[in-house]
Amino acid sequence: MDAIAIEGITKRYSSLTAVDQLSLRVRQGAIFGLLGPNGAGKTTTLRMIMNILIPDEGSIRVLDQPVSDRTQDLIGYLPEERGLYPRMQVRKLVVFFGALKGLSEAEADRRAREWLTRFELADWMEKKLIDLSKGMQQKVQFICAVIHRPPLVILDEPFAGLDPVNAITVKDIMLELRGQGSTIILSTHRMEQVEMMCDSICLINKGRNVLDGDLRAIKQSYGKNTLRIEFSGDDGFLRDSGIENVNRFGAVVEAKLRPGADPQEILKAAVQAGARISRFELLEPPLNDIFIEKVGHA
Amino acid sequence: MRKVWLVIKREYITRVKTKGFVFGTVAVPVFSIGVILFSIFMATRQTDHTLKIAIVDDVGGLAPSIVQNLASKKLANGKPEFAVEKTLEQPQPAAGIRDDLRAQVNSGGLDGYLVIPKDAATAEFHTKNAGDFMLYEPLSSAINNALIAGRLSDRGIHVDNIAAVVKGVDLKVVKVTKEGEAEDKGQTFMVGFVLAFLLYMTLIMYGVLTMRSVLEEKTTRIVEVLISALRPFQLLLGKIVGVAAVGFTQYLIWMTSAALLATYGSAMASAVRPGSSFPQIHVPGALLAYTAVYFVLGYFLYASLFAAVGAAASNEQDAQQLQWPVTLPLVFSFIMFQGVLRDPNSTMSVVLSEIPFFSPILMILRLAAETPPWWQIALSIVLLALTMLGVVYFSARIYRVGVLMYGKRPSVVELFRWLRYS
Repeated sequence: MDAIAIEGITKRYSSLTAVDQLSLRVRQGAIFGLLGPNGAGKTTTLRMIMNILIPDEGSIRVLDQPVSDRTQDLIGYLPEERGLYPRMQVRKLVVFFGALKGLSEAEADRRAREWLTRFELADWMEKKLIDLSKGMQQKVQFICAVIHRPPLVILDEPFAGLDPVNAITVKDIMLELRGQGSTIILSTHRMEQVEMMCDSICLINKGRNVLDGDLRAIKQSYGKNTLRIEFSGDDGFLRDSGIENVNRFGAVVEAKLRPGADPQEILKAAVQAGARISRFELLEPPLNDIFIEKVGHA
Repeated sequence: MRKVWLVIKREYITRVKTKGFVFGTVAVPVFSIGVILFSIFMATRQTDHTLKIAIVDDVGGLAPSIVQNLASKKLANGKPEFAVEKTLEQPQPAAGIRDDLRAQVNSGGLDGYLVIPKDAATAEFHTKNAGDFMLYEPLSSAINNALIAGRLSDRGIHVDNIAAVVKGVDLKVVKVTKEGEAEDKGQTFMVGFVLAFLLYMTLIMYGVLTMRSVLEEKTTRIVEVLISALRPFQLLLGKIVGVAAVGFTQYLIWMTSAALLATYGSAMASAVRPGSSFPQIHVPGALLAYTAVYFVLGYFLYASLFAAVGAAASNEQDAQQLQWPVTLPLVFSFIMFQGVLRDPNSTMSVVLSEIPFFSPILMILRLAAETPPWWQIALSIVLLALTMLGVVYFSARIYRVGVLMYGKRPSVVELFRWLRYS
């Protein structure tokens, strides 16, 4: 069964087509990356999945049911633009959102205490939201999204504003939810997070699905065409005719090979030019490059 | 429905807990009752003991008659109001006597002395407590009665009970209604004005409160999470009903304190000072029921419009600019108060009280003044209810689109385009 099955949805605003004949399937139990440049139609797509917007054409099924008021309770949503009632008590706020998503108030209260304790917010439960730091508010909002342990969790930039310790807590909970059978949609611009966490992805550009499928398979389809090199000394060898373009990160350089170029030849040229090589690795292309290739010059 | 209920509950509890609500609802009536009782206390504090006075009669022959007249004035506790310690007719030397009396007033031997000059045009009462206006009426009526009796007897007419002779009439205005007749001491005007003004105030107040509440959820972006859990219309309904419940709580507390004041006002007033009383105002039950009906219908009409304004705006400034077309009919109703009260059955009054945007306030004014024909009441309620349903429908559509639109303030054309979005 698919967690989400989208068939040819289109959403138009007066002059703009935000989503254009988009079809997409998300396997149940996956961590699914929804990628795309700003304004690609990601938020509109997510809103249609959550029944906030209704597509002009096409159909959406969530967990094998057509999208409706009832499927809303199956979804937990963390929007990119965060916001909570500033003058409400933390615990009461979490209970309110839990109850809105179908929990009884007693159960919501029990879980609110449990989650807040887990996020080290136990001492802040009876405080007002405005008394919390921005990072703490992020954690509260994350709790509001997952308190009802939904079978489908939609997280838009879940790590934004979190310190490394809290980021690990959030990541662990995402994996825990998946372990319990939940499906997670991760929408982010941070490609390294997608590479580390996602099983499959969909890349949207201008409202269309330009690339989707299993992340490993996608990368394999590009083949090992990227060199990651760490070196000191002369960098003239990077102008080799076998290298299509170079991406410099300071200590590390990533070079994309032209089709048919031989990495051995490039290594030989580098050594001959007097560069001291400490790392020379042949890789599949990073997702970042695939993203840029697909949408960069479109 | 459970979700709507959650929204209502949250809205209600948050609003009722604010300092503004507590102050406006509880402190204001308590404070005003306190002020009224305090002023009764202040105004009547002299009257539980008999005032010792002297009378200086420069006319001659008046003093005994004044004493006789004052003797009939009694305090609430049965004691005489005045005790005349001495009377002086045409005393010599006048200045010396006055100095002596003044010294006695200052030392507390006398509470005051009354001087009737030769021409008897202006009498003077000399006292330390010159602000006690409760003294004026009994003293001046005693002097006047004595003077009139004197003048009549000069013309050969002898009168025993002068008070009975000079007693005039009071003019009562009696309000004629279908049910009968009732005395009206300007109550019609007051009750109608107060109820209509209360409606005007609360429609604006709770309308703006609804608008702010919608705008708050939009600017803090909570609304996106909310409408991923329930339909925008459910959310809107919950907010409007929640704020209405706050309004009803406020009304209930105000009316309870008004009822307490009507029931126990006189008791409280006499506890503060025996014998004082409290003005009684009677508000007919039917009028209160009509007020409730017009408040509910008018509130849903205006609150949904205000909510649409809150949803269309992205910040406080935009909201203020978009708000005035909604506030305008309310302000216009307020301006028309006087015209409608003066002639509640003029063509203008009748027409205005049938127009849905004005009827919640202006029909109440007419109802307080005199009961309009039943078909006029029924027509205005039906028109108001239908308009309200239509306005709620369109406001909900604007709300649904507006809460997700950020950026520039929408033009009227854009608002109409929003109505067509699915």
